[in-house]
Amino acid sequence: MNGNLEISVDKLPVKRLDAIEETGAERFPPDVGYDEKRESLIRRIDFAWAVEKDDNKRLKKSSKESSSSATTTPWQWQNMVENLQFAHQELSVIIDLINTVEANDAVTVAGMTRPKALPNEVLSDLSVSAATKLQCYRHLGIYFKQSAKSLEQQIAKEARFYGALIRLQQNWKVKRQRVAAPASGNEGFTIDLFDNSLYDSAPVSRPSSLSTIRIDHDSAGMLAINLPPNSCRSFRFGFLGVQSGDSSKQCSKVKNSCSPRPSKEAKESVNDDECVREKHSLLREVFDIVNREAFKQSLGVNVTGIRENYLQLGIGLGISIFLSLIPSNQGDLSVDSWVNQNVESGILPLDSHDGVKLAEEKDDILRKSGGYPNPLTYEIYLQQVFHEYLYGRAKNKPISTGTRVSGPPTKDGSGLLGHFCLSLAHRIFSNKVHVELENAVCGVPYLHLVSHPTWHSRTSSWTVFLKVPQSILHAESNSRTAETAKSHFRTNVVVNDDCIHVEGEGTPNVVGLFKGRSEDMSSMNKYDCDLADLPVIILQQVASQVIRWLHEEALMVGIKANRDFLSLSFELDQGETVSLVAHVDPEDMRGCISWWLVMEDGFAAERKLSIDISDDASDYKKFLGHLSLDVLYSTLMDLVSLCGGGSH
Amino acid sequence: MNKGAGSGPTAAAAAAAAQKQKTLMQRVETDIASIVDNFSQLVNVARVNDPPVRNSQESFMMEMRASRMVQAADSLLKLVSELKQTAIFSGFASLNDHVEQRTNEFNQQAEKTDRMLARIGEEAAASLKELEAHYYSSGHRTTQNSQQ
Repeated sequence: MNGNLEISVDKLPVKRLDAIEETGAERFPPDVGYDEKRESLIRRIDFAWAVEKDDNKRLKKSSKESSSSATTTPWQWQNMVENLQFAHQELSVIIDLINTVEANDAVTVAGMTRPKALPNEVLSDLSVSAATKLQCYRHLGIYFKQSAKSLEQQIAKEARFYGALIRLQQNWKVKRQRVAAPASGNEGFTIDLFDNSLYDSAPVSRPSSLSTIRIDHDSAGMLAINLPPNSCRSFRFGFLGVQSGDSSKQCSKVKNSCSPRPSKEAKESVNDDECVREKHSLLREVFDIVNREAFKQSLGVNVTGIRENYLQLGIGLGISIFLSLIPSNQGDLSVDSWVNQNVESGILPLDSHDGVKLAEEKDDILRKSGGYPNPLTYEIYLQQVFHEYLYGRAKNKPISTGTRVSGPPTKDGSGLLGHFCLSLAHRIFSNKVHVELENAVCGVPYLHLVSHPTWHSRTSSWTVFLKVPQSILHAESNSRTAETAKSHFRTNVVVNDDCIHVEGEGTPNVVGLFKGRSEDMSSMNKYDCDLADLPVIILQQVASQVIRWLHEEALMVGIKANRDFLSLSFELDQGETVSLVAHVDPEDMRGCISWWLVMEDGFAAERKLSIDISDDASDYKKFLGHLSLDVLYSTLMDLVSLCGGGSH
Repeated sequence: MNKGAGSGPTAAAAAAAAQKQKTLMQRVETDIASIVDNFSQLVNVARVNDPPVRNSQESFMMEMRASRMVQAADSLLKLVSELKQTAIFSGFASLNDHVEQRTNEFNQQAEKTDRMLARIGEEAAASLKELEAHYYSSGHRTTQNSQQ
């Protein structure tokens, strides 16, 4: 204390009248509360001296600092350090806040007011946000494009898949198969080759695995058909002991259109395998039906050997055929080992080399003798017969119940297979008949052979025409006006199965011969014969027709002539007869019909007429040779004139 | 009663078919509604908001909605595939019609082939007859016979 003492005097705490109202009420000042009293006392304390003290101290300090800073330069990173410290403080606050939130403690955030941003800061924040959002949308756009591309690929894949499936469905019996294992992804499909129409019984159990082909549908969406090896087979038909040669190779090539490999594309698998599978199923059906038919008692079927996928049948005439299903990869190799030396004695497998040789020799013989027809044609015919039956039944509802389908019996009880075997036998036999007829016709210049296609597999027909030369006809027509000369004679040969039926005109019948009247000649005669006698019969028929023609010509000119089977006799004076006699010889290379002139006196009737071929010139017989019809007609006219002139 | 028993399987099959149809329609509607809804939401969040955290939230949501759209489209494709399979394997009317049409085509083809074969046969028979007549009337055969 410096000596100046300040004293303050307060009023006595006596209630002093503040005011008196007109009504006489006295107003005193309000009482002061305890807190107010204390505050007023505190206010009365003068702290000026303390404040002045502090200010003096601060001023002294600042003067000291300014004096010291005036001497040193400030650190250039000081602001940054301070900012970092402030940022560190803020971060620690934020971290504390986060920790508190993580600890699930209740946090009460007091209202905060964000400092008002500057316009450039607002715009930059907005542009960053817009750019971020734009980038987001661009990413979305790329994602949508990729998804669209993959969906388009999937649509295209499914379009291919369903297109192929529809095509399969149109041609095959495709069934959906629910795959139990979910790992395979999609359900599978199968092609059912089982033909319900083969079986009449309605409740057919599940088809066997042999008749179903599985189609695998992998995760990539492609169809694949996996075939076990040796599932492709070729149908083979042939004559036992004859190498089929090119025809069988051709068959194999036709059937073996593709090897059994899994295909990648559904469309390609359908195109590559469809025809082969169809043939496989149909060939198996045909072979199965042939097998069933073979063991039924029916005409024309004679089973001489059987193995797996191989059936051997005897069709008569010492000929055997075989039907087999062989794997496509083996081709022709399997035929040689099955050559049989003696058909009737059963199957005797030979060494393949010998078998090949034997087959070639036999092949040559058979080809020379008329041969076998082309096996390919009969393979096609066999399939056509059975297919017509199989699928023709689809039009007509099956009638039988509870029995397996088999070929209907034909009129002669032969069945389909029997009919086929008989057709084949007939074809071979008719070829031989044709050869014989051709040989006979070739030996006689005035004969024509005309074939008549019957369009029946077991009937063949030919006609042997004997044509009168036009020159003779013209000469006759000048002399005769009303009558028409016969210009041709015909002999019909009809072969039914292995029966030869000959029908010819101009042959005298036996009854007429006995009666001795030449007029009682049957215009048409019918009889059966066998192959060995056919040439002779035909030639005799032709010769008799020539005799008949000559006889009619002689009658036309008014000369009485007697006709026998193969001779024409004229009566001369004194009981002598001159006869024109025909001789037939199928083996004669110069001509099959030759003519003799026989003179007989009145006593010749007692002698048996015998023609000695070796004696061409005799007193009674003269060999005229192989005469044409013109020469015969001239000879006849000479004989007629002789008969007429001899009377003089 | 007999009527009901006789048509039992048919009625059950019809009811099952109706139920399946209803299910498929529901799936279709669900998928299409999902696509439309998600797309509309995508368009709606195009607005740029002030706080960046909202934009981040919206970007995650956009990705999610885009995935949902693609998933709905894939589901629709599978539905179409299922319908196609059902149509292929259950469309008996169309299958029968197709089979009949093919049968008729094949029958016509068979008849045409038969007629053609008959015509070929007739022509072959006529040609054979003519050739035989020419051959047996020809000088070649006469010369052969004279040489013999």
